[in-house]
Amino acid sequence: MKKQGKKSLRKNIIREILNTKSRFLSILAIIGISVGFYTGLRSSSPSMMETARQYYGDHHLADISLVSTVGFDDEDIQTIKKTDCVKEIMPAYTADLIVSQKNVDSVVRVHSLPQKTKTNTNVMNELMLLEGHLPVKDDECVVESYYMKYGYKIGDVIKFSEKTEKTDTNDILKHQEYKIVGIIDSPLYVTYQRGSTTVGNGSVLFYMMIKPEEFKSERYTNLYVRTRASDSKVSDFSDEYAAMVEEDLKTIKSISGECINRFNATTLADAQKELSDAKKEYADKKKETQTKLTDGEKKLADGEYELFEKITAGRQKLSDGKRELDDAKAKLAKGQKEYSDKLTEAKRKLTESQMLYADAQNQYNNAKTDYDTQIAQAQSKLNAAQTEYNNQYTIFYSSTKPNAETKLLLMKTAIDTCSDVLNKTRDEIEKLKNVELLTDDIQKQLDEQNAKLNEYQKKIDEYQIQYSDGQKQLAEGEQQLADAKQRLDDAQTEFQEQKANGALQLADAQNQLNDANAQLENGKLEYESAMTTGMLELQAAQTKITEGEKELESGLKELEKQEKTGLETIKLSREKLIQGKYEANTKLSEAEEKLIDAEDKIEMLKNAKWYVNDRDNNPGYSGLTEDANRVDNIAVVFPVFFVIVAALVCLTTMSRMVEERRTEIGTLKALGYSSFDICSKYFVYAFLAASLGSIIGGTIGVLTLPYIIVSTYGIMYMLPETVLVISWQSFVVSSLAGILCTCAVAVISCFRELTLAPATLMRPKAPKPGKRILLEHIPFIWKHMNFTSKVTARNLFRYKARFLMTVIGVAGCTALIIAGFGLKDSITVIAGRQFGELTKYNQIYALSEAETADKKSYLMSQFRKDDRFSNVLLVYQDWTNVYADKKEDRLEIHMVIGENQHEFEQMFILRNRQTHQKISLSDDGAVISERLAEVFGIKVGDVLNFTVDEEYYQCKISGITENYASNYLYMTEKYYQQITENRLRYNMIFTMTNDQYKDMESDIANEWMKNKDIVTVSLISDQVDAIEDTLESLNFIVFVMIFCAGLLAVVVLYNLTNINIAERTREIATIKVLGFYDLETANYVYRENIVLTLVGGAVGLLLGSLFTDFIMDSLQMDMVMFPKVVEPASYLYGFLLTFAFSMLVNFIMYFKMNKISMVESLKSVD
Amino acid sequence: MIKNFVEFDNVYKRYKMGEVTITAADGVTFSINEGEFAVVVGLSGAGKTTVLNILGGIDSCDEGRIMVGGKDISHLNKRELASYRRYDIGFVFQFYNLVPNLTAKENVELATQICRDSIDADTVLDSVGLSERKNNFPSQLSGGEQQRVSIARALAKKPKLLLCDEPTGALDYNTGKNILKLLQTKCIEDGMTVVLITHNSAITPMANRVINMRSGKVISNVVNHNPLPIEKIEW
Repeated sequence: MKKQGKKSLRKNIIREILNTKSRFLSILAIIGISVGFYTGLRSSSPSMMETARQYYGDHHLADISLVSTVGFDDEDIQTIKKTDCVKEIMPAYTADLIVSQKNVDSVVRVHSLPQKTKTNTNVMNELMLLEGHLPVKDDECVVESYYMKYGYKIGDVIKFSEKTEKTDTNDILKHQEYKIVGIIDSPLYVTYQRGSTTVGNGSVLFYMMIKPEEFKSERYTNLYVRTRASDSKVSDFSDEYAAMVEEDLKTIKSISGECINRFNATTLADAQKELSDAKKEYADKKKETQTKLTDGEKKLADGEYELFEKITAGRQKLSDGKRELDDAKAKLAKGQKEYSDKLTEAKRKLTESQMLYADAQNQYNNAKTDYDTQIAQAQSKLNAAQTEYNNQYTIFYSSTKPNAETKLLLMKTAIDTCSDVLNKTRDEIEKLKNVELLTDDIQKQLDEQNAKLNEYQKKIDEYQIQYSDGQKQLAEGEQQLADAKQRLDDAQTEFQEQKANGALQLADAQNQLNDANAQLENGKLEYESAMTTGMLELQAAQTKITEGEKELESGLKELEKQEKTGLETIKLSREKLIQGKYEANTKLSEAEEKLIDAEDKIEMLKNAKWYVNDRDNNPGYSGLTEDANRVDNIAVVFPVFFVIVAALVCLTTMSRMVEERRTEIGTLKALGYSSFDICSKYFVYAFLAASLGSIIGGTIGVLTLPYIIVSTYGIMYMLPETVLVISWQSFVVSSLAGILCTCAVAVISCFRELTLAPATLMRPKAPKPGKRILLEHIPFIWKHMNFTSKVTARNLFRYKARFLMTVIGVAGCTALIIAGFGLKDSITVIAGRQFGELTKYNQIYALSEAETADKKSYLMSQFRKDDRFSNVLLVYQDWTNVYADKKEDRLEIHMVIGENQHEFEQMFILRNRQTHQKISLSDDGAVISERLAEVFGIKVGDVLNFTVDEEYYQCKISGITENYASNYLYMTEKYYQQITENRLRYNMIFTMTNDQYKDMESDIANEWMKNKDIVTVSLISDQVDAIEDTLESLNFIVFVMIFCAGLLAVVVLYNLTNINIAERTREIATIKVLGFYDLETANYVYRENIVLTLVGGAVGLLLGSLFTDFIMDSLQMDMVMFPKVVEPASYLYGFLLTFAFSMLVNFIMYFKMNKISMVESLKSVD
Repeated sequence: MIKNFVEFDNVYKRYKMGEVTITAADGVTFSINEGEFAVVVGLSGAGKTTVLNILGGIDSCDEGRIMVGGKDISHLNKRELASYRRYDIGFVFQFYNLVPNLTAKENVELATQICRDSIDADTVLDSVGLSERKNNFPSQLSGGEQQRVSIARALAKKPKLLLCDEPTGALDYNTGKNILKLLQTKCIEDGMTVVLITHNSAITPMANRVINMRSGKVISNVVNHNPLPIEKIEW
């Protein structure tokens, strides 16, 4: 019976699982994701370490490396070998040289190939040959794979430049060119950090290896030692290993003194003797040279004096000649003047006479004309007068006289007549007078006769007067004519006289004129002859002067020639002398330099020192451990969301399941099954889901995440293929947590149901009653909501666990996405902030160390002249080791000192990160970068230990500045000298390029590289490009994070929706029957999802910002400070992507919902 | 009054349960006039629920023709069926199927909000005698009251056809009687066409038409010219 029952139960469980696939799968998935994520992440760090460990082990990486300032010899090796800790020892050579390729000088570290030692078969630091073969011929080399990325290939030739600081490449290696025959990786370099150097720009670009015999040095530069530590089976990363190596370090350090003493006694002593000999020789030579030079100088001075005298004499002669010539010239000028004066006078006179003559001629002509005119006029007047006279004469005698005579006759007649009448009358009167009785008549007659008589008498008187008048007139006329005749004759006579006079005068004038003309002609002749004579004289004088000048000139030329030749000779001899001097000086200074070098060398040899380092000194070695720890840090916290959400998902799912199976539980209980049997179904269900999930998730997680993460880090490390190390502990812990959580929820909810009586159980559980929610008490909002919203609101507040689960899950999703993008944002801004905002320089020119201070300031002035640079600064920049309180914590950082404070402030923006307040450098403290301060826990006012040339110094920290990439120690020259008492040797020139020349930076750099005082140039833009390339790899991490976030969101929302739909099948069927369309129905259910997504997304925005901070903190490296920057767009992406995931779930569930049959609504409540 | 308001013409419905095919409606043919109170009666498995489901647009038939108000609903697509349910059908469930998270009034409004022409929720709740309990949640109502809400919800849509699936099945005798009374009143007073399915043949006298089914077939379709008021019926 019991057995049978168990069988039914088992069947029941299997069917249950098959019937509720989605529920089973959702538990399985969430547990799987959590376990997989956790285990996978936790396995990443060990896998990374193991990969490295195996790599080191397989390639027999030395445990300890030794470097000495003076190198090592075989005796040193023997001494070291004697200590019991040393298992193997391999001598090696290293040299940093400069190669010039593609016009850029870069530093290459040349190593000797690792060699087999006599005692051991393993090759220490064994290379990983990736392509080609190891060098066979002397001039062959192998190059690291990293370098091949620059486009070099096997068969190319690496050529060293001849100048490498003080030393000649020829002194170091046997060849100048090496042909690449293979590509290798060395376990000495696991990161892309190549370390620093004193050569060139201070950083090594790549390394190469050649045969050890190629090094000329007699003494080895390095010794590699393998100790008992690596032979014992402890892990290279374990504390035991570290302790052992620490001890061995001490042992070797302790014997270094012995070796150095021996060295001092032999090699150093020899060198010192050699030096003193050389010094003596130098002094002798110097004296000799100086004597020779003094002689030469004296000879030269004598020659110079002689020449001077000769030239002076010649000059004197010449000047005499010149003076004579000048006199002659003056005379000539005078003669010329006189001549021209005379000539002018003569000419003037001539002109005057000419003018006078012309006047006379004129006068004569005028007079003649006048005379002619007057004669003509007089003649014509005369003629007119004659004619007039003739006319009047004719008129008078032909008409006037006869007329007048006729008239006179007539009048005589009239008078006579009248006299007769008168007489008669008188007679009558008399007669009448005689008659005495005069009667009246007679008296009348008489009166009449008397009147008549009177009248006649009058008439006769009148006629008488008239007649005498006429006679008088006639006489007058005759008289007039005679007068006229007289006048005419007079005029005629006068005219004749005048004419004769005039003619006489004219003739006189003509004579005078002729005389004058003759005179003029004479004058002209005289003038011409005078002119000709003067001219000839003058010409003769001129010719003489010209000749004199010519002579003078040739004399001058001769003199100049002589002078020139003399000077040239002197110049030549002087040049010779200078040349000789220079040569002698050069030789001397070379000798001196050699002496100084020798002295320096001895100085160095004197202070011989051994540096004994463990693997931590190896670039990248310690970084690997740090990075692995960093991954582990994230691995611990990252899956927290998943675990919380998984618990909540299991809780809601299992309790829901138990609730659904209430009736069945009741029935089974009523049938008499024990509580254990009943519960076992749910327990087994939960256990199966959780454990299957753990196994599947764990497997997937372990097989993917470590590879993804190690290969992501692999971009920074050169490691071979990943070796998987499974963190079983994490798997067990996370699986157990998942299984326990799920099973506990199942059992607890099952037992809670079982406490009730079977009868109660068998009755349908009253559905969780509808409750008024807080929102309903705000009628303003509530009344404006439609039913779907109301239902949504009530549902949301009804199931608090679901609410929490979904909000946390969705928030986690958003936070993860934001963190992913935030990570990218933060890292992306590093390059921009560091190079551009904080440091403004664009190019770094490394100067040859041998240059003197004068030379540097000259070079600086040339740089300043180049207007393509907006700013130029002479800088001392070098690597320095800084130490925290204890000397174990060491960081290699840049020390930067600018020559000019003003320019320094232009190029280096020192400021507080938060307040952006400017920090100024003073002469009583140094400024360090923020990350350094953080790592060492240094505050302003604290003291920092640092080294210069292996000497320890302390500086006071006066400021901490914002800085992202690398670490810096800034101070002023004054402060540096004050604390170190060293003279500062500036070694670099930093420049800022003018904006319009930004595109030509490499051209500018190449141009300057031609200057022999500049060793290397580095462009900041190249560095920025390199950084940005590395950051590309981040995209993948962002993708992984988004993927995980998506999984989280999908699982949670799927679960929620699934439960919702299962629980509300009836409700959904009912509203479908009511006539809701598909979309309306979907909306009815989805609104809850959407609201929860929005709420979760909003919470996620807050969480994302915190989460990003956390991740950034865990990722911090010693060398890099990540700015915590999350762009607004990243928040937006986080929110939108979460929403998209939610929509995806809704879309999937849509079909499921569509499948719900309306017939469900008719069924009874179960 | 329209004759043959509802018309089933040789309707078949088959369900496949694995390899077994069950013919739930086996050539069902009947008609109901407008305004009639029709009762479909039969034993469990007689196919009456299938008929109701097909009539209500919840299920579709495999063969035959169904006319409701002159409209052929047998070939409607999913969306057209939803519209048909929305505007033409009121459904009263055996288990009321109220949304537990909504009050009585809100449950009614759930139906009215999707209709073009609906009766005000308060009015319809008044008419089913629930004026006092409008703002109670279903869990705070008795079975009868819940069924009244359910009926109110169906009526509020002003359906052409009121379909009731064993509306008294989960109720006690008196409550059941009250519910039937309510339905009969609605039919007589409002001229609502009601189709009610039940296994209880005792209530058939209250109907205008009684359709008797057995094994997926209509075995009789009787018109009762003198339906009794429910008070007169005892069972």
